[in-house]
Amino acid sequence: MDITQYFTDYTLRTITLGTAVLGAICGMLGSFAVLRKESLLGDAISHAALPGIAIAFLITGAKDTNVLLLGALVSGLIGTWWIRGIVSKTHLKTDTALGLILSLFFGFGMLLLTYIQKQPNANQAGLDKYLFGQAATLVESDVILMSIVTGVSLLVLLLFWKEFKLLLFDKDYAMTLGFNTKFIDGLISFFIVLAIVIGLQTVGVVLMSAMLLAPAAAARQWTNSLSVMVLLAAIFGMFSGVFGTAISASQTNLSTGPVIVLVASVFVAVSFIFSPGRGILFKQIRLIRNRRELELQKTLYFMYSIVKNHDDISRPHAIRILNNFQGFTKNTLSQLEQKNWITIQGANWSLTDDGFKKASNLYTTNLPES
Amino acid sequence: MNPSIEIQMIAAVTAAACAIPGVFLVLRKMALISDAISHSILPGIVIGFMITQDLASPLLILLAAFSGIITVILVEMIQKTGLVKEDTAIGLVFPALFSIGVILIAQNANDVHLDVDAVLLGELAFAPFDRFYINDTDIGPKALWTISVILLITISLMLAFYKELKLSTFDVGLSSALGFSPVILHYGLMSVASVTTVAAFDAVGAILVVALMITPAAAAYLLTTDLKKMLVLSILFGVSSAIGGYWLARLLDASISGSITTVLGLLFLGIYFFAPSKGLIAVLLRQNRQRKEVSLLTFLLHLNNHDSTEERGVAHLQEHINWRRVRAKSVLDLAVQNNMITIENQVVSLTRKGLEFTEKALEYIITNKDEKIEDMKDDFFLFRG
Repeated sequence: MDITQYFTDYTLRTITLGTAVLGAICGMLGSFAVLRKESLLGDAISHAALPGIAIAFLITGAKDTNVLLLGALVSGLIGTWWIRGIVSKTHLKTDTALGLILSLFFGFGMLLLTYIQKQPNANQAGLDKYLFGQAATLVESDVILMSIVTGVSLLVLLLFWKEFKLLLFDKDYAMTLGFNTKFIDGLISFFIVLAIVIGLQTVGVVLMSAMLLAPAAAARQWTNSLSVMVLLAAIFGMFSGVFGTAISASQTNLSTGPVIVLVASVFVAVSFIFSPGRGILFKQIRLIRNRRELELQKTLYFMYSIVKNHDDISRPHAIRILNNFQGFTKNTLSQLEQKNWITIQGANWSLTDDGFKKASNLYTTNLPES
Repeated sequence: MNPSIEIQMIAAVTAAACAIPGVFLVLRKMALISDAISHSILPGIVIGFMITQDLASPLLILLAAFSGIITVILVEMIQKTGLVKEDTAIGLVFPALFSIGVILIAQNANDVHLDVDAVLLGELAFAPFDRFYINDTDIGPKALWTISVILLITISLMLAFYKELKLSTFDVGLSSALGFSPVILHYGLMSVASVTTVAAFDAVGAILVVALMITPAAAAYLLTTDLKKMLVLSILFGVSSAIGGYWLARLLDASISGSITTVLGLLFLGIYFFAPSKGLIAVLLRQNRQRKEVSLLTFLLHLNNHDSTEERGVAHLQEHINWRRVRAKSVLDLAVQNNMITIENQVVSLTRKGLEFTEKALEYIITNKDEKIEDMKDDFFLFRG
């Protein structure tokens, strides 16, 4: 397989474009899902969409993608609405509500699918591709539909940017300013459901939640700004789609959906470890550096406490009176000397003027002046 | 035994085995962990199947349950870094593990006669074909034996640690202060949930396991707040939906696990609407009553503030408090019914009882004891809103 295939091979080009667009829209809208602490809503909704697909097929009897996705959209929205209802009207918690809707809708969908399979309608084969997704079945019209949906949601996102942002971070304030929070809330939920439904055909119900979450969770680690996060998440999602498709195309027997999800997971893992601000690696490095700094200060302060009772601050003292307990190691000693806070002569050390001044201000610099 | 009864028995025992850990998962707000486990056991199952070549072997169940535990540990590790919230951590871990499982199956398609559909959806109808033999004597389907053993273990574990489980579910602080390690109980519960999930997936599929764990517990939780009653009720709900679902499946000639879920769903829907004090209808009625009674109180306080007759005219009041006609009328009616006010020549005035009520309520409001108004209503009201 080489690069030119992306431009010459119709199937590969369509799938790559499709997964890239899907990754972008999922990353974009997934950012909101993650920040609203509704990460698993995507999982519930993607499962809840299944009966909609089956019912749409039962009513129309045709396997038109758009009609089936419309059915999925409706049943996904009903699921979302019901989850909200359970959480707000009963004492059941969010996790229970999500699990309920997820499993009940999915089970009902399975009942309908198996019922359809028994029907004498030759058209029904292939409905189960929505279960696990088959990127290979993407055709140009699907990609165009995805692009349109992405465009519309981008437009709405830009139009309502201020409102979405306000609602996300301070709902009460948004309400007091007179924004119709119910409408804005519904709007963003609607677009999240829409993104999920669009992705069903490509990655399937089970893996859809990861498509929504992973790019956003990765992007969150690199920035504290919403606009940058949304942009980064879209880029991460897009690259997961492109790389995932490329990897699965290079091998036989590798289904696209799972590979895309694994690529997205790699993005998450890398971000968790290597992001400069929040990453585990740099956090650990900072921790160690701070600890060293503290040890150094401890040694210096101990020296200061010995020296301050003498008239002559530069009088030498033996090194062996220092010990580990005051954070003393050979390393700290040489560092202190490097900073010109002490001088070492043989087995003795003495504090310099600089070091004395530093040590006497060590624990008072942060105190308010009195 | 004929297959029909055997299938119903497997379904019923599975439902009971799932209901018990389910109750604790729902109460501990960890319902979605069951969903995560049910998906992420897939790689464990595939690897176990490659080794044993037998879906019902104990080794496979242990391996798969182990990958369930790994999920829990991974979720907690990610959560501890503080980089993302718990639900995001769950949502990141299980799709990744599930993907690995799917890829493993696809890569070894020649050696592994496993179907992702079968793992997710299960096929109860085939469960009786896999028999268990001792000395060439047929003693029933394997699935029934496996799940029965797990049910027994679950029940005996629950009986042995009932007190500890109850305490750590409702008061983690107290239970760890008394010396019961919450960590051990947590992982114990997770292990039981994992093992049950793995044993059940073969018969009923991963998604139905989630339904069987969460739905009966959630339905029971709407009916009672007593842990023992909740356990009994959820087992009852689970078993009856399992049997009901079987007959629905026969009627429609459709997937048994799908129809069990559907019956569970209908059951939950019914309880969600009609549960006596926590159902939707009861809650809406109560909210409506409360709204009306608050309106009544506002109205009485308003009357108390205005003495002049023109301020107390019915038409004027409507305008003044800015209520719609219907609402104003219903509030007025309620006040008259309760002898709080009298209406003469379209002028409203407080009765002595109304005055007493209003002043007492006012006192509570001023002293920030709003909750006492609720008790007072019982003393004063002949008719509630």
